[in-house]
Amino acid sequence: MRRFLSTKGVIGGGIVVTMLLIALLAPVFVAEEMATRMDIRARLSGPTWTHPFGTDQLGRDLFFRVVLGAQTSVMIAGAAVLMSIVIGLPLGIISGYYGGTLDNVLMRLVDTLLSFPALLLALTISAVLGPNITNTIIAIGVAFTPYLARIIRGEALRVAQMPYVEGARAAGTTDFWIILRHILPNIMPAIIVQGTISLAFAILAEAGLSFLGLGTQPPNASWGLMIQASRDYLDVAPWTALVPGVAVAITVLGLNMFGDTLRDVLDPRTRA
Amino acid sequence: MLFLVNRLLSVFLTLLLISIITFAVTNILPGDVAMMIMGTQSNPEALAGLRESLGLNDPLFVQYARWIGGLLTGDWGTSLVFKEPIGPLIADKVVASALIVVMSMAIALSAAIPLGVWAAIHRDRWQDNAASASALVGVSLPDFFWGIMLILLFASVLGWLPSSGFVHPAEDFFGALRHAFLPSLALGLGLMAHLTRMTRATMVSILQQDFIRVARAKGLPERSVIWGYGLRNAIGPVVTVAGLQVGYLFGSIIVIESLFNFTGMGWLTYQALLNRDIPLIQSTVFVIAAVVMLTNLIVDLIYMVIDPRLRAT
Repeated sequence: MRRFLSTKGVIGGGIVVTMLLIALLAPVFVAEEMATRMDIRARLSGPTWTHPFGTDQLGRDLFFRVVLGAQTSVMIAGAAVLMSIVIGLPLGIISGYYGGTLDNVLMRLVDTLLSFPALLLALTISAVLGPNITNTIIAIGVAFTPYLARIIRGEALRVAQMPYVEGARAAGTTDFWIILRHILPNIMPAIIVQGTISLAFAILAEAGLSFLGLGTQPPNASWGLMIQASRDYLDVAPWTALVPGVAVAITVLGLNMFGDTLRDVLDPRTRA
Repeated sequence: MLFLVNRLLSVFLTLLLISIITFAVTNILPGDVAMMIMGTQSNPEALAGLRESLGLNDPLFVQYARWIGGLLTGDWGTSLVFKEPIGPLIADKVVASALIVVMSMAIALSAAIPLGVWAAIHRDRWQDNAASASALVGVSLPDFFWGIMLILLFASVLGWLPSSGFVHPAEDFFGALRHAFLPSLALGLGLMAHLTRMTRATMVSILQQDFIRVARAKGLPERSVIWGYGLRNAIGPVVTVAGLQVGYLFGSIIVIESLFNFTGMGWLTYQALLNRDIPLIQSTVFVIAAVVMLTNLIVDLIYMVIDPRLRAT
């Protein structure tokens, strides 16, 4: 527990908790209308008392938009990572635990999928399915699955060779029970660490997809979309890019710091 | 020798799998190429005729065989957006992407190695904390955000460098470098942060080993202990990781080339995706995945040359 209290862990954890709260509570406190109301007299206005983060080209308040963007980002990234764990976990465990031909075939497929840059795979899936929130989740989730399957397989393989697993097998325990009672609990730390780091990548991926117009679609608020929209007004209103850009950076930074700390705490092998 | 044969067979198999996956992914969509050529409001009979003449009524594996046959014989089909043969179109764009991938890699490595070593030497002191913290911020910013900030600073405010377009190095070498610099920097900064973290971690673990203590004990100057003994052992893993990042770079060039209107493979892929130009999507995605796979293979082979211990296995 003490290891969580490093500077990195506290800052990272603080950012992650804050962002989660913002994302969860955004719909309660920020009505959709507050983020879409256009104040024509205050277009591209800099930070003021009425608009603390300034406004965009349509006079919409950037503070409310960035808060609603947090909801979109966290929701999409969370669902995508969950999806890649749900698909990657059984694949990885079966591959690592049983080994043999099945492992060879599955890992050959995973290695091939890893030849596709994750962003390219996600963009292609999203373009083919048609961009919207659900398909963005599917696109990022599928693109991340091979990475998770690979890591889970490695962990399952390591745990499967432990003496206690051999002991359980000698005692006649069924494979299903061994996986449930011995493999799964022992690979959990690795999954939690990898999941946290994947969340950071998923937030970046969602921003990238939306920036290219192949992720979240207007009028939904998304950080990537906001940065995209700011491109034409950079000279006169640089804050329209800075506000969502800093939001992405802080969230991803928090997740990375928290992930690093989790790894230090949960994975004794990397302790220096 | 047997090892090489095995490796080549595996390359061939992977390329085959890459082509199958590419083809499968682009065939899950509801519409088809005929619909895209004629539009959704088109005459059903004409649509059916076009489908028949394009062979879209054939079973999928027949279509796949026709596509792969075309790839092998040099007939890559015609792009729906550009109305040009795909083979020459791609060949034309490869140079631009190769230029920024190489430049960004050079920028990233030349900054990351000294910075990582510097952080490792001053482990847990302010120098390390500063370098590690900036590297962490670096990996947390999306590369298109770097791109926008660079455009804002170097093109809009200072006016030193062009913010968009591509110039072929054969026409104007320095013009090409000037146009490629900002996109390369935008790509390279994130990579640099990542490689700095990697260099630092590798150097820290190497500097704790016995042979370093021996080198110090026999009175070698610290400089040659660090650079001659430490870095020489760290460089292998760092270069390997850098090589493996080519995959990441090929994902990022889609965003960065589109942002800088830099007409390379990434830009071409984006145009294909945006316009759902299925034949062009298939070819660009296949080429990128194949390039990434081959780069990883080359990195593996180079590593084997550098580190003789790996040759035995």
